[in-house]
Amino acid sequence: MNKRILVIASDNIGLGFNQVEFPDIEYLQFPIIIDEQEFRESETYTANWLIEKYTKENIVARTTSIVKGELIEIVEKNKDKYDLIVHVVMGSNMSAATYTIAEDVRKMYEEIIPIINIDTRQVVGGVGVILLRIIDIIKETKDADEIISLSKEIINTTFSFFVIPDLKYLYKGGRIGKAKALMGSVLRIIPLVGLLGDDDEGLILPIGRGRTFKQVNSLLISTINNKLKDYSIDKAKLINIISMNDNPEAFSDLKEKLEVSVPCEKMIIGEPHLVGSVYLGPKSYSLSINLK
Amino acid sequence: MEFAQNETLEIKKTLENIYKFLWRHKEYVNRLNVFPVPDGDTGLNMTLTIQGALANLPDYSDNSISPGEYLKVFAENMLLNSRGCSGVILSLFWQGIAQVLVDSDFSAGNVLKALEKGYLNAYEGTENPQEGTILTLMFELKEKYGQVMLDEENPVVILINCIPHLREVLKKTPDMLPVLKKAGVVDAGGAGLLILLEGMEKEFSSKQTPDALPISSVLNINKTLRKLLKSRSASLRYSPPGTLVQNLGVDNISNIKLRNIIQNVQFYVNNILHNSKRLLSRDAIIKDLDDMESSWNPDIKQRYCTEFVLKSNKISSQDEMKQLIGGYGDSMIVLNSDDIYKVHIHTNKPDSIFSDVSKYGELVFTKVDDMKKQHRNFISHDTIEYEREQSVFCIVSGDGFKKILENLGADDILNYGKKKPSVNQLVKAMNQLKAKNIIAATDDKDILMALKYAASLSKSNVFIVESKSVISLISMLMAVSNDLDIKNMSFMNRLNDIRYCGISRAIRETTAEDGTIVKKKDFFLMHNGKIILSGKDIKQVVVKSIEKLVEKESLVTLYKGIPAKRHNILPELKKTFQDLEFEEYYGGQYQLYYYLTFE
Repeated sequence: MNKRILVIASDNIGLGFNQVEFPDIEYLQFPIIIDEQEFRESETYTANWLIEKYTKENIVARTTSIVKGELIEIVEKNKDKYDLIVHVVMGSNMSAATYTIAEDVRKMYEEIIPIINIDTRQVVGGVGVILLRIIDIIKETKDADEIISLSKEIINTTFSFFVIPDLKYLYKGGRIGKAKALMGSVLRIIPLVGLLGDDDEGLILPIGRGRTFKQVNSLLISTINNKLKDYSIDKAKLINIISMNDNPEAFSDLKEKLEVSVPCEKMIIGEPHLVGSVYLGPKSYSLSINLK
Repeated sequence: MEFAQNETLEIKKTLENIYKFLWRHKEYVNRLNVFPVPDGDTGLNMTLTIQGALANLPDYSDNSISPGEYLKVFAENMLLNSRGCSGVILSLFWQGIAQVLVDSDFSAGNVLKALEKGYLNAYEGTENPQEGTILTLMFELKEKYGQVMLDEENPVVILINCIPHLREVLKKTPDMLPVLKKAGVVDAGGAGLLILLEGMEKEFSSKQTPDALPISSVLNINKTLRKLLKSRSASLRYSPPGTLVQNLGVDNISNIKLRNIIQNVQFYVNNILHNSKRLLSRDAIIKDLDDMESSWNPDIKQRYCTEFVLKSNKISSQDEMKQLIGGYGDSMIVLNSDDIYKVHIHTNKPDSIFSDVSKYGELVFTKVDDMKKQHRNFISHDTIEYEREQSVFCIVSGDGFKKILENLGADDILNYGKKKPSVNQLVKAMNQLKAKNIIAATDDKDILMALKYAASLSKSNVFIVESKSVISLISMLMAVSNDLDIKNMSFMNRLNDIRYCGISRAIRETTAEDGTIVKKKDFFLMHNGKIILSGKDIKQVVVKSIEKLVEKESLVTLYKGIPAKRHNILPELKKTFQDLEFEEYYGGQYQLYYYLTFE
């Protein structure tokens, strides 16, 4: 019997939904809060809408966890159609509440349908990269244990890097981690921070800084190449780069440098989502890479 | 042994309290440090080892791992952060303990097994294990624990009950290791271990630890006694040292050797003065004093205490690592966990070792301490009590640059203003940092010479960055990344990353590189030590400079000096060069109107 598997993901994956070529997938929406008002991504409320709001108004936005009822609704709707659910969850290191909700729902349905919660230890594009790689696995195997074991390796070898000209959005959201060391400079600096799959603590780390986007891009490229070297890998599996569409020159420079200097099986230019833009702010962009 | 509900937090708190206790008594341990080299840092090294491990402990406050696993993570972090012989041996001991306790079995019997394993691990990991050292105390701890365990079940109580015995053993270490006896001290590493146990005891009760005389005082008293013994009888009776010796109570002198010698001198002097008899040989006492003095001033054959962490899958065992670098020195300790090798060795050729081992993998961490320098500090009368591992120390002119460098991660800054600092000022400034290692950099090549001389007089290990301008310092600090970890020093290769030039004003007539005359009060562009162009109008000189020097760069930054404080040329530059981005900062330098950087 061919086992039927449903994948659940969220709208914080740094990918357009049409970029995920898998029919059996459901998406949850992360709410964001601005001045006590809740927003969900829609045609009106997009990443670009928030970035523009950030530029023009002095607002503070924050994200909240997924809504438990919405997850239950998805599971309830699909529990009889599938034999297994794989939920690709934003990193518990970044949102413990979301992962707890996912675990609660898994336990609720323990007797009804098995649910595997994949703690990606990533956000935004990193979750997207892991989602695509897990879909690759599901296409090869339907065995739950094998999916779990192969996912672990993918998570450990997935790295996200963020070029964030203004760290205040990350700081206000309480996600600054060790990257705080890059804040408060008299000189205008452009920080490069990272969320590294092989970092046990799973905190946002300072990777480096530059005075121009080109400098930061070069630093990013050399950081990736060092990772490839560390893992003795000739060619990365998958790269996903995402920009907020307000810094085209810097983003093109990164893309060109990647094409020339980083061997990779597949490179995707992802799409920003509302929730993903909350902590990044204007002129930021990110790169997520899976090595193997 | 039972832990509260939030177990890892409880353990961490206990470890932190014990660490704080050791930190308060580190100077006492430092002052006992005569073996293997009297460089006065045993207490500091043990403290930094635990400090580093605590700082790098992940947050397991959600109890996601068991207490045993938590102790194992702590042990791994101790290994990676271990400093000096004593720090490395302590982490080996703890590694062994943690291996046994990993299953969270804290029963008295299992703790005994852990202590036995800890001792074995430390003993076997030490290249040339000696009696009378921390290893002896570790041995005695597990032996005594085994005895006390027969009457007591609680491992904490058993450990506390072992402390009096270990104090006695520590007192006997001078009988086991002659160099300790000559120096009049007990073993420093052993004392450190005992303090850790006392720290644990303090968690349950309140106890006091001993204090020690500074070594400089011990040596000065030694010198005074020698002088006194060689003087005439009248001096013995009437000189201040003579009268002092006759009336001195010696019970509170912690240095055993000094106490014995003073008692002998008192006996000798009193007999001469009252009985005119020489019951003790003056020469024998002087020889004792000489022996003691020389034990604190040995010939340090291997100058650098060198440590590194190598990540390598090409080296298959500790023995292979030992074979690879064993010929370079002594006091070698090699630890390994998976493909990580932590090595400690005393050598004269740290660079050769780094070069050799880097062929086998990635050098994750290196550290070199100049033990001759540390020894000089240790025995001097104005010894410094180091309070931190290292400081990045910048010597610059200008308030603006001071702030910029501080923000970029410099720990300490000397803003010398208009007058370049003297060697004396630099030595004083460096000694005030109380840092064991100093990475010193200056914005002026003329200060570099003074800095090099000052470094030789400073009490710290000083690594000089051969920078020539403040822009080099900005460039260097910009390159410091990864949690501002400067330990591997690779950022020193980044001094010339930023191209720059300076705009100044001629104080007398001079000649430019192409032979044109630069008249007095003309503005001129200085690039790579040469005058490239000049002119009467500063705006024009800046514009021409940008035209001449910008290549592929997109950002031009102006660092304004005091002479240009009231100038505002930025709007015109932005208008003239619309393809370039401009930023302006106040540097506050005295001589140059502007530094221009191109990025």
